[in-house]
Amino acid sequence: MTDHLRPEDLYLYLEGELGAFDAGHLEEHLETCPDCRRALAERRLLHEGFTSLPPFEVPRGFAAAVLERLPAPKLRKAPWLMPLIAAAASLATGLVGFYLFTGTTFVDLLIGWNRFSSALAGRVLPLAVKTLKLGGILTRVIGDLLSMGLQGLTTFTRVLGPAGTIIALGLALLLVSFLVFLGTRKSLHQGEEE
Amino acid sequence: MTEDRLLVSRALKGDRKAYEMIVRKYEQPLTSYLHRMTGEREAALDFAQEVFIKAYCSLASYRPAFKFSTWLFKIASNHLIDHWRKKKLPTVSIDQPVDEGDDSLTPQIPDPGPSTARRFELAEIREKIERALETVPEALRELFVLRHVSEFSYEEIADIKGLPVGTVKNRVFQAKEMLRKRMEAS
Repeated sequence: MTDHLRPEDLYLYLEGELGAFDAGHLEEHLETCPDCRRALAERRLLHEGFTSLPPFEVPRGFAAAVLERLPAPKLRKAPWLMPLIAAAASLATGLVGFYLFTGTTFVDLLIGWNRFSSALAGRVLPLAVKTLKLGGILTRVIGDLLSMGLQGLTTFTRVLGPAGTIIALGLALLLVSFLVFLGTRKSLHQGEEE
Repeated sequence: MTEDRLLVSRALKGDRKAYEMIVRKYEQPLTSYLHRMTGEREAALDFAQEVFIKAYCSLASYRPAFKFSTWLFKIASNHLIDHWRKKKLPTVSIDQPVDEGDDSLTPQIPDPGPSTARRFELAEIREKIERALETVPEALRELFVLRHVSEFSYEEIADIKGLPVGTVKNRVFQAKEMLRKRMEAS
């Protein structure tokens, strides 16, 4: 059994790849072990050498040479093309199948659909027009009522002045609180009775 | 969208300028890797061209969920494997244990000394590493180069090579110890 640090851990420590716990443990051991300190120092110099190897000098014009040799680009197909083709094929198969089973052609289907939609439009359209008219009248009435209410409020505050308005608001608040109190009391009494 | 993904997307639409930018960005790390793997300057440049062309032809299969660099190096790594397979180069088993002889290394390191001396020492070490690297089996050398020359993380290398991270760490360690022993012997 050896008490010394494993060389792989020394390399990982130098690379900063050792976890905080293991690194702390390793540093603690290094303080008391000159052999491991020496082993770490040896590998530190090697590590510096490993990590500072000179890069390859690429000749100027390399990228241009690559581009010259590139084949014609393979363009990516539109992502919606395949689903569209599949949908069209399914529809065509369905129509042929429908014709074979029922004897009804696509043209017959179209004529039938046209009649149905015309009948539906004949019933739905007048109803929609009436609903729209009614909606317009209701909007106008609500608008008039709102503007009348606002005018009344403005006149009321003008007559009362700022102090009077505050007193009126306070009284209204009191009245609302009183009503809430009464309502709560009643519901509590109901609960007791039940 | 990252810069690479944006460039790939533009290249896929036929924008050659975008692909040129990709080539310029990766020409140096890729050739550095290939040079260390082939040991020949011209071969490295030829291989790099072929890898860039291969990547361009299969650009539509690139999935943006992955890093472009790892995808490109995966192509390069497979290209090298094909090359070695064709040439039938002798390979050394990477399961062979690293020669565990004398465990001491010659360089006297602890004293940092003056910076110029340190620079010379480092330059000498680098030269020794380059020479020793040529004798390390390809499978170990490749992982070492990916880690220390191309500066990929262990996780990225695992992704490129389709190996577990633990195996990658262990093999990079084996490569380093092998280098250490060979440098010591030289």
